[in-house]
Amino acid sequence: MSQTRSLIDKQGKRTDGRTAEQLREVKIDVGIIKNADGSAFIEFGKNKIIVAVYGPREVHPKHMAQPDRCVLRCRYHMSPFSTDTRKNPAPSRREVEISKVMREALEPALMLEDYPRAAIDVYVEVLQADGGSRCAGISAASVALADAGINMRDLVAACAAGKVDDKIVLDINDTEDKEGGADMPIAYMPHLDEVTLLQLDGILTKDQLNECVDTAIEGCKKVYEIQKQALMQKYFGNEIELKEEQP
Amino acid sequence: MNVIRIGDSIISTRIGIAEAGRDGIKVIPLSGVYIPRVNDIVIGKIVDRSSLSWDVDINSCFSAHLPAQDVFGRDFSPARDDMARELATGDLITARIVAFDRTRDPMLTIQDRDLGKIPRGESMKISATRVPRLIGKRGSMIQTIEQATQTRILIGQNGIIVVTGRGPEGIGLAVKAIKMVEDEAHTSNLTQRIKVLLNVADVSPPQPQPTQSSSVASSVSLEPSASSSKATASDMGASQAGSSVQMAEEILEERQSTAAPNSHIAYSASSPSSTDHVSLPSSGAKGSNQEERRRKTEEQSSATNPTNVDTRKTRAGAKRVHDEESKEHNNKEEAD
Repeated sequence: MSQTRSLIDKQGKRTDGRTAEQLREVKIDVGIIKNADGSAFIEFGKNKIIVAVYGPREVHPKHMAQPDRCVLRCRYHMSPFSTDTRKNPAPSRREVEISKVMREALEPALMLEDYPRAAIDVYVEVLQADGGSRCAGISAASVALADAGINMRDLVAACAAGKVDDKIVLDINDTEDKEGGADMPIAYMPHLDEVTLLQLDGILTKDQLNECVDTAIEGCKKVYEIQKQALMQKYFGNEIELKEEQP
Repeated sequence: MNVIRIGDSIISTRIGIAEAGRDGIKVIPLSGVYIPRVNDIVIGKIVDRSSLSWDVDINSCFSAHLPAQDVFGRDFSPARDDMARELATGDLITARIVAFDRTRDPMLTIQDRDLGKIPRGESMKISATRVPRLIGKRGSMIQTIEQATQTRILIGQNGIIVVTGRGPEGIGLAVKAIKMVEDEAHTSNLTQRIKVLLNVADVSPPQPQPTQSSSVASSVSLEPSASSSKATASDMGASQAGSSVQMAEEILEERQSTAAPNSHIAYSASSPSSTDHVSLPSSGAKGSNQEERRRKTEEQSSATNPTNVDTRKTRAGAKRVHDEESKEHNNKEEAD
C-alpha cells in the first residue's frame, strides 16, 4: 500500500478537514424500526447504517440451536447504492468475513447463556459507505442489542485508527483507507476494558502499533459516550442520568 | 435481578430503572421479549396440534406445549378423543405455565379457575415489559380504559391482550389507548393523557375494586394471599428506595401496587354493571361438561375392559379428584 499524495496538509488537517485525533461526527438514533425487537441508525461521518435486532427467538433451522446458549447470527450487507459504483447485492467474500468478525466482536458482550435454545439475529445494512463501516456497524449493533433488551455485560464501541503520512490518526475514512499506510479497526468494551476485535491492514512498527491501539481505544471511548446518550435519549428523553442519593 | 458484579462495580445488564433496596440492587427492564416463568398466566394462540399435545405461541422465544391429557384427563387416548373439537388452530387460550426450565419448553395448563379458551375478542401484542404499566396502580389504567370504552380487556403476562366489547368503536378506541400506553410507557403522567385521549372527565380516580372476585364471570382469578406476599417481599426494597425522579417513582409505585394483586394474572377490571358480559368459558359449566364426557368415556372403557380392575381403580381415583374440582367450581359459581 504505497501512498502517492499527502493526505495531511501543512496545518495538520486531513482530507476532510479533521485533525489527527478527531472523530467524524457520530449520530445514533435508537428504535427506528417498529417491527424489530431492537434497532438503531448510525451516521458515522458519511457512513449511514441501519441495524435491526430480532430475538431472542426460535431457531430455524432447528439443528442450529445450542442446548446451553443462544446463537448469535450476524449479517453485514452493503446496499447496491452504498458505494460509488454499483455493488452486486449478493454477499461478497468481504461481507461474509465482516459478518463473522462482527459476530465475534459482539458475542463477548452478550450473556448468551441466558437464552438457551434461542437465536438472536442482527442485520446490519449499509446504506452509504465511507470507510470504517464495520466499526460503525458494530457500534450501532450493540446499541440495537441493548434496545432489544438482551442481557449484556457492556456495550461494544468500535473505532478505527491508522497510519496516514507516517502519522497515527484516529477514525480512518475511505480515502485514507485506500491511500493511507495502515488501517486498524478495534472494537472495545470500555467498562470491562476488553478488546473484542482487532484487525490490521497495512504495516506498522511496534511503537506505531501501540500508539495506534491507544488512539483507537480513545476513539472507542468517545463513541461509547455517544452510544449511551442515544440510549438515554430514547428511554428517558432529555433527562440526564439518574444519580439520586438516598437520604 | 438484571445486574452483574464485576470487580467493584455493579453493572446493569438491561436498560431500565434501577432500584436500590436492602436486599440489593435490581433493574426493572424497559424492553425485551417475554421469558416464561412458572405460574405466569399467559394468553396464547394454538398454532399446531400433534397427536398428544397442542403447540401454543406465547409471544416468546420458546413455543409452549399444552398436553392433551390436561384437557381430556389422564385417560386421554388419541384414538378416541378428538382434539380438534376442543381447541382448533388459531384459538386463543388463557393458560398458566406449570413447568419451564432451561432445558425444556414451557408446559401449560388450562385446568384452573378462569383459564381456558377465549371465545371472542380482538387480540393484540405489546411488549411484556409494558404489562405492569398498562394495568397501572391498583389497576387504575386498565379500569380507565375499560370504563371509557365499554370494553373488557384481558391481559396475559406475556404481553398478549384480548379486547372484547359491545361495538367496534369501543374496541378500536381501547386498542388505540393500549398502543399509546405501550409507546409511551416510560413517560410520566400517562394516565392523564390517556384520559384526554378517551375524553374522560378528570374526576376522582376510578374506584378501585378491591373485591375483584365478586365481579361476575371475571376473567381473573385473583389470589391475593399467594401473590401479594411474594410481591411485597420482592418490592420491599422498592418502597425503601424511593426515587427522586417522578417517572421512575410512578413506574415503581405501579409495579408495587400492581404486582400485589396481579402479579400473575390475565387481568380485567370491569365491574359487572358497566360492561357487556363476555361469556368466558364459565369454569363451572366446563367442569360439568367434562364430567359428563369423562363419565361417558368411563362407561365405554369399563364396557370394553370389564376385567381390568386396576385401570378402573385409577379412573375412579381420577374421577374423585375431578368431582372435588367441579364441586369447587360450583361453589365458586354460587359465590359469584
